[in-house]
Amino acid sequence: MKTSAFISTLLCTVTGLSLSSAVYAVDEINALVWCDHTDPEFIEPFEKANNVKVNLKEFEGTGAALSIIEQSQPGDWDVLVVDGVDVPRLVKAGILGQMPAEALPLDDFFPELLMEDKHVHDGKLYAVTELFGYNTIAFDRTRVDPQDMTDMTVLWSDKYKGRIALYDWYLPMIGLVSMGLGKETASLSVDDLPEIRDTLFKLKENTAQVTDVVASQTVLATGEVDILFGGGEWLTAVLSEEMPDLDWVLPEQGGLRWSQSVGVFADAGNPEMALKFVQYIVSPAGQAALATSSCYWAMPANRQTAELLTAQQKSALRWDEQVEYLSRAQLYPEPGGELDEAMQDLWNEMLQQ
Amino acid sequence: MRRQAGSWLSGFYLLLMYGFIYLPVTVLVLFSFQGGRFPILPFNGPSLKWYRQVLADSKLTDAMFNSLLVAVCSSFLAVILGFLAAFALARFSLPARALQRALLTAPLTVSYLIIGLGLLIMFNMLGVGRSLWTVGVGHVVINAPLCFAIIYSQMGAHQVNVERAARDLGASLVTTVWLVTLPMMMPSVMASFFLSMTFSWDEFIIAFLLSRFDVTLPVEIWSLLRSGLNPKTNAAGSLVFLVSVIFIVLMELLVFRRIKRG
Amino acid sequence: MRDKLSREHEVRAWRFVLPALLWTLIFFVMPFGFMVVMSLWDRIDNVIVRTWNLNQYREFLLKPYYWQALVNSLQLTVTVTLVSLVLAYPLAWIIAMRVPERWQRLALLLAIIPFWTSYVVRSYAWLLILARNGLLNKALLATGLVDLPLEIAATRYATVTGFVHFFVMLLTLTIYANLKQLSPNHVRAAADLGAGPVRCFLHITLPLTLPGIMVGAFLTFVLCIGDYITPQILGGGNELVLPQVIMMQISRRADFPSAAALSIVLMLVVSLVYLLCARWLRLERAR
Repeated sequence: MKTSAFISTLLCTVTGLSLSSAVYAVDEINALVWCDHTDPEFIEPFEKANNVKVNLKEFEGTGAALSIIEQSQPGDWDVLVVDGVDVPRLVKAGILGQMPAEALPLDDFFPELLMEDKHVHDGKLYAVTELFGYNTIAFDRTRVDPQDMTDMTVLWSDKYKGRIALYDWYLPMIGLVSMGLGKETASLSVDDLPEIRDTLFKLKENTAQVTDVVASQTVLATGEVDILFGGGEWLTAVLSEEMPDLDWVLPEQGGLRWSQSVGVFADAGNPEMALKFVQYIVSPAGQAALATSSCYWAMPANRQTAELLTAQQKSALRWDEQVEYLSRAQLYPEPGGELDEAMQDLWNEMLQQ
Repeated sequence: MRRQAGSWLSGFYLLLMYGFIYLPVTVLVLFSFQGGRFPILPFNGPSLKWYRQVLADSKLTDAMFNSLLVAVCSSFLAVILGFLAAFALARFSLPARALQRALLTAPLTVSYLIIGLGLLIMFNMLGVGRSLWTVGVGHVVINAPLCFAIIYSQMGAHQVNVERAARDLGASLVTTVWLVTLPMMMPSVMASFFLSMTFSWDEFIIAFLLSRFDVTLPVEIWSLLRSGLNPKTNAAGSLVFLVSVIFIVLMELLVFRRIKRG
Repeated sequence: MRDKLSREHEVRAWRFVLPALLWTLIFFVMPFGFMVVMSLWDRIDNVIVRTWNLNQYREFLLKPYYWQALVNSLQLTVTVTLVSLVLAYPLAWIIAMRVPERWQRLALLLAIIPFWTSYVVRSYAWLLILARNGLLNKALLATGLVDLPLEIAATRYATVTGFVHFFVMLLTLTIYANLKQLSPNHVRAAADLGAGPVRCFLHITLPLTLPGIMVGAFLTFVLCIGDYITPQILGGGNELVLPQVIMMQISRRADFPSAAALSIVLMLVVSLVYLLCARWLRLERAR
């Protein structure tokens, strides 16, 4: 039959194609990562230099990572990227393994980003910060009064009703709202939730959309909304060349600092290559590629990266203002089991309003 | 007079609905040539740079190959299972036929999300790793009932006599099925095969839940949408469209023409 | 008509049907069993606790946003099904009755072709059209039909539009197939007896195409209520439907017990609708 001949020819051609691309990878590591690590400009130099294939799996949120890990066999995963504040949980659960501190350029790091209380346990290093940035207010300078943006509470007044989008991740958003209410993110309790809830619901009335990372970039860039609450350099910097009017600011209430840490699994199948990968990530070259990835940009933790970034890239990341910003930012809330559950419920309820 | 007004109205409605049906794909193709990064007017271009990027993206071309592989293999298996079951249930009076039919077609009434989630939970609990194999299993689950229903509905009484004649001439049951029933049922077998391929090719949620590193095209496009703002998505979508249209035209010329003649 | 079956025949017949039956049992019925079991467990502090309880179902009843998701799903699906039917029926009728016979196949093929783009991309393309600065608003503003851009993207209207687009095609196909099976004699007879075209349609054509309508409507219902992509891309996170909540349980919290319980609720709803439509959905063989 002609069809089968046709299909088998097609198959052979395509198989030939895909085989040729898979031939030269010998070693492999498996990494659970955020979307910035999937940029070929970041990953390919490492793969070529070490003759290794890096298999990447993206996930959202530490809860999801934990479940992926739970369903895996020991040795399945080598490298994990995770929220800095969640590292202690993972160390306690025995998921992350020790890393030799002397193999990593920790002296070059911004001191605030060493985060020893999170990364070091019993004098042993389990993770290092790779990137950080802020969840705060991003906006289009030509459409809103930049002066207004220095006060977070304007977002839950009626002034910009219908022109706001919210970043769809409960922890930073609840953290931000609580800072707007004058609370400390580190000491939130169930008693704070009613007030946060009222504010969130008022905010939702002013909100046009609730968006994930890329949708946040899209709606702000295409003029769908004028303000993105929860945005920061991760939103505007990647667009800074085409869209110089997009801006972000730490309001007087401050902003929320996020950071992503990287570590090696305690039961990694390929620990040497995994450590090499971590070394690449925190090296200036790896940091520069990651800091300006196609998914989002963020501040590198390694200060030496400055030399590899252009002036335009540094200004989009606010390199020179970091000292002031670091001092005015708070960290993500770190709710335990029940409070975490309550916060997620609160966020979902808000979505349904 | 009234007749004329009616046909005017019909023509207008046809035009309107076809306009609606073609709107997204037109916009997609248009913006795939957009020179800038943002899918909004004003239009600057035309530019082919996003097509170049798509073709250079080995993840996308790999995903396309994976999709094709899963679609062909799972549809093949689905058709075999569906055909054999349809034959048995149409020709023999097995006990509990109604129940068997109901069981075999039950997956048609269940959302893909639930089928995918069920398989995911089962594979997790049994320690079966996720791969293209598991995606293929899921696609057979959704397509086998479809193949069964299509082939079963076309198994009329008129083929029975031919089959019986073959048996009377001494052909074994397997020979009869292979040389008599299958060729007679070829139109519906082919139709269900290509329908299965279409569904598998474009299926997202099962492939999303059941795949790991090797993903199918819809899943790759989804992660493309979620990993950076770029019009590569438009170019990828337009390319998929082009490939599919070429595929349909080929099928039309190579397969369905022959079936009609035969 | 049918072969008298000897014992030996029956054994052979089983051999033909067994692969499909086993496949369905192992990969369809069994996973469902696992899902039921999972829904009766609990997840505390990111660990699945294997003790039997009904907590997940209790939560569904207690948490208003779960309920709201079900209500949203039902409202959305019913709207989509009705709108699609109203748009598709005339289209199918025109193709079947007014378009010359030899063009009909082409007309149907033309209606299907745009759906050979990836459906993830198709939903996304609607976003380009419906956005505040999208093509529709640009066109409306340019022609002066509106003064302010319409807010369609990120609302339920956008989701409905994306769904209706697909289901109009699907329903047109099923209704067309049904219309073609109608004998023109019925309508002619009614016309001879003095019925006007409207009465002919209401009393003859419509009831005779009801099976096709119901099959199409049920398909629309099942596919629409279980879809995640379209509301996720077009809905803008302003309201959640059940599949979105289910996916959120999996991808954000890895809460499989709760996702399983919600899926079972979704399945119950679909089963209920199936029972309501069952009399039209019988699988029949060609005569």
